[in-house]
Amino acid sequence: MEKVKSIGIDAGSTTLKIVGVEEEGKILFSVIEDADPKIEEQTDKLLGELRNNYDIENSKIVATGYGSNLIKADKKVTEITCHAKGIYEYFKTGGTAVDIGGQDNKVILISKNGKVVDFIMNDKCASGTGRFLENTSWRLKISTEKMAELAISSDNEVKISSTCAVFAESEVISQLSRGQKLEHVIKGLHRAMVKRITSMVYAIGFNPPLMLSGGVAKNKAVAQMLEEELGEKPLIPENPQIMGAFGAALIGLSE
Amino acid sequence: MLHIDIPSRKEVIEKAKSEGKKIAAIYPIHYPRELFRSFNIQPIEVWGPPKTDTKKANAHLQSYICSVVQSGLAFYLEKQLDIADIIAVPHSCDSLQGLGSIFKDFINPKHELITIYLPREKNKENVEFLSNELKRIYKQLSEFCGFSPSSEKLMEEIKKEEEIDEIVDKLYRIRENLPLSSRGFYAILRSREYLSPDEFKSKLEYILLHASKGRLKKTGVVFSGLLPEPMEIFDIIDEMDCFVAMDDMACCMRRVYGKGNSDDPFERMAERIVNGPPDPTKGNSFNERFGFLKSLIEISGAKGIVFYNVKFCEPEYFYHPILKEKLSKAGIKSLIIETDINEPISQQTITRIKAFTEMLRENEQ
Amino acid sequence: MNLRDSIKYLFSYKIAGETFIKLNTKKAFKNFKPPKSWRTDILAPPLKTGVYTKEIIAKHYLEGRYVNGVKPVAWVTSGAPIEILKALGFYILYPENHGALCGARKAALEISEEAEKKGYSMDICSYARTDIGSILSKKTPVGKLPKPDLLLCCTNICQTVLYWYRVLAEYYKVPLIVIDTPFVYDEAKEHDIEYVKKQLEASIDVSEMVAKKSLSFTKLKEIVKLSKMAAELWLEIMSSNKNIPSPISVFDQFIHMAPIVEKRGDAVTVDFYSKMLKEIKERIKNGIGAVKNEKKRVLWDNLPIWYKIKFLSEFLAEHGVSVVASTYTNAWGELAPMMDIERPIESMARTYTYPILNRGTGHKLKTMEMMVKEFDLDGAILHSDRSCKPYSVGQVDQRLKLLNELGAAALLLEADHNDPRAFSDEQSKSRLKAFVEMME
Ligand code: SF4
Ligand code: SF4
Repeated sequence: MEKVKSIGIDAGSTTLKIVGVEEEGKILFSVIEDADPKIEEQTDKLLGELRNNYDIENSKIVATGYGSNLIKADKKVTEITCHAKGIYEYFKTGGTAVDIGGQDNKVILISKNGKVVDFIMNDKCASGTGRFLENTSWRLKISTEKMAELAISSDNEVKISSTCAVFAESEVISQLSRGQKLEHVIKGLHRAMVKRITSMVYAIGFNPPLMLSGGVAKNKAVAQMLEEELGEKPLIPENPQIMGAFGAALIGLSE
Repeated sequence: MLHIDIPSRKEVIEKAKSEGKKIAAIYPIHYPRELFRSFNIQPIEVWGPPKTDTKKANAHLQSYICSVVQSGLAFYLEKQLDIADIIAVPHSCDSLQGLGSIFKDFINPKHELITIYLPREKNKENVEFLSNELKRIYKQLSEFCGFSPSSEKLMEEIKKEEEIDEIVDKLYRIRENLPLSSRGFYAILRSREYLSPDEFKSKLEYILLHASKGRLKKTGVVFSGLLPEPMEIFDIIDEMDCFVAMDDMACCMRRVYGKGNSDDPFERMAERIVNGPPDPTKGNSFNERFGFLKSLIEISGAKGIVFYNVKFCEPEYFYHPILKEKLSKAGIKSLIIETDINEPISQQTITRIKAFTEMLRENEQ
Repeated sequence: MNLRDSIKYLFSYKIAGETFIKLNTKKAFKNFKPPKSWRTDILAPPLKTGVYTKEIIAKHYLEGRYVNGVKPVAWVTSGAPIEILKALGFYILYPENHGALCGARKAALEISEEAEKKGYSMDICSYARTDIGSILSKKTPVGKLPKPDLLLCCTNICQTVLYWYRVLAEYYKVPLIVIDTPFVYDEAKEHDIEYVKKQLEASIDVSEMVAKKSLSFTKLKEIVKLSKMAAELWLEIMSSNKNIPSPISVFDQFIHMAPIVEKRGDAVTVDFYSKMLKEIKERIKNGIGAVKNEKKRVLWDNLPIWYKIKFLSEFLAEHGVSVVASTYTNAWGELAPMMDIERPIESMARTYTYPILNRGTGHKLKTMEMMVKEFDLDGAILHSDRSCKPYSVGQVDQRLKLLNELGAAALLLEADHNDPRAFSDEQSKSRLKAFVEMME
């Protein structure tokens, strides 16, 4: 059985992520599951399953994310520090890390030597977060993946001016009922979201390269539009959702 | 850690009443405590209070008015100020201006209502104006109380306040030698909002006695904004092995005035306020504010600044972008957080504070 | 004065530009007809003299493009005492007016986003955001704004301008004059007026230094006179709406008030409003109402919603509602009687302490009550402007009083004067509809 040196657990608002690394920081396993309200039981269960295949008896555990308070861990660190660490070690470069999660966005400036220089998070509202697209996706009964495809293929867009996730949803409906084409409206919706994110990036002072993480990083429309707005092709890790947990695991190595 | 008992606002009010004093409920920010005290009036400040149910304020205010004004009004509407004889509303910003005006024109409290206009900018005309404004209030209080305190009495009260300001200043400078948590330290400083000068002074002297040579081995931050509410915000900072080493808050440091020069009591009170520390509601220049913040960092050895902003507070908002830039050029890290004093601290805010302290410490290494 | 700048100014503005604009106006006046999209079925055609509004404003901003280096430039707040600067030959720019212009041309959102990108909160006044965004990005629908040599900020409209002008002073590194006007809870006290007067006097030195010349009191009196005359004419124009039907609507006033704000103290402005008044009297004589089928008459409180003027004007006209009076446009006329040409500084101190925005919430209620009676109104629309706290605080009580004590229908309409994100078409329509039904 492979020996796991350190485990990072990222208990986010929508998903739970666990990453295990060996001494050198190489990823041995990663697990992603929808977050259960009983986070503690859920992590215990997952760790129990991992025990069948890995030696985690002496692993350090570092927890991060909203649910981290409920998890037994050797150390607790914020998502900001973890994401920065994960992204930096993954790409081996400083720059601007943008994490677009289900309920919040973070923009982190990382220095050449991997330190957090500055960061911002969105306000309490869900403006510009994954929730922005999800609300509409539920309402229209179209998956977010499909919505992204529509947005990319659309040659035109309808301006959605609302930045509030709830209002934007009703604006989408009212545009559609006015006879606007679905793909145009959907593209406008993506644009509104991307604009919120870019304004955060500008607010902190954009320093390339742009590195994406979080579930929404997989959304091709968002990535493409971010490139249009910022004039920089974003770097996207193979598995963008686990960057926080990966960073947490790495932090465990130096404990 | 040192423990100091602080009486509650309620206890203080009851005691003052039993001593025959009148009570003045005073809204934020600047006013001369000494003027009220010479009339045997106990000023009790109304900063919020936090965690108030502001439903009732909706009968008078739109939702885009800050939570300090919302809860201040709701508190009155809940009859919590009925015990006071006087309500005073300093003119600190557009929203408090509106509050004072609504009180006068629509709510008509049975209390004696006093408004105080705060002149902007620092200059001769302003001192002269404010001293006239204070004379006007003196007249109003004389009529209300039925007597006029002498200049000597006024001077006596002014000197008391000046002496206290001096001690507070000293405590700030030896903050890291004081065995007090952030919450503990500020609970005492903020008791000035309602304690009598003698009682407050005795608390300060008690702390001074316990100052030690040993230093708090923690990372310091400067806290800037209107007020630290909800106060649990300080616990989060302390939990991260940090402490609030200095502040630039309206309820504390921004009202630690220097000594006046004039022998005329009104002019002296005016000088103190006009020449006091920079404050966005006074419209101070960026250089003044930046210089002041930098000096706070230098004096305290703090590593960063937390701007803790009440949502919808325009005076503060306008300064943030340029201040943040100036600070960053000077190598000082800062964080802006938005708060509603009536809501519990959000998980987001906790994460931000924690990440900020992690960042400060990482960069310290 | 810089020679190259002067030559450019002379050719581009004085010779080419002005002539071109004048010709255009002449043509527009001769072939006057309403724009294609104008709803002639429900609205009277626009005022013919309105072509001069365009001319005055176009010239003003065109001059602005070439004025740096030729005349000293001051940026001022909308209620600022500009007479001294005018007398010293300053070119005067009103960032708030520029903001309104951006709003009316639907450019304000994009421009204020530039400020938001730099960290300016969405919760600060949208005029300030538009202005700061325009400075940071150089975006403006008028081509180019002149750089200020002096900033003049008067707190008689709000405290917000004080912080805003601090930001401007920081960006431009030019002197800032603050005229701090104590808020008038009931009546202004002697020491209040004295304080304002002293500041005005002190401001002369700084202004003279920047203008590099000294103030002539004869000139000042002349400017005060012109300023007073224009304000009186404006007042008369607004009063003519007491006529039933009302010859012009408040939405027209919003458009044609630009000169009284921006060109107060100029002879052209007096001339312009005399012409306008004549046309309005003509309308009254012919029984023309701004709204063709005027059934109900209402007032507007607070700033316009610049990006929705057409929408609101048409929606209300469709329902036979004419908006005939407003506390906002009134603000530029109501103080005219206070100006005293013989005592310019003293009377300025008083006049500039007394604008409606520097007075208590009860005073505003009284103004509205007076309007309801004098203009024979059925209702009031109170625009609750998220951006403008001094104007909006008090409206909740004011609305109730209008409703309960005067029996006027009263609507609190949530919006923002320059930020379209705070306005929802659908929601506003249903509110306005309910309001119209209330009056029936
Ligand atoms: S928090 Fe800001 S807006 Fe609210 S009362 Fe205080 S200074 Fe005014
Ligand atoms: S809109 Fe209101 S807050 Fe903004 S500048 Fe004008 S008066 Fe001040």
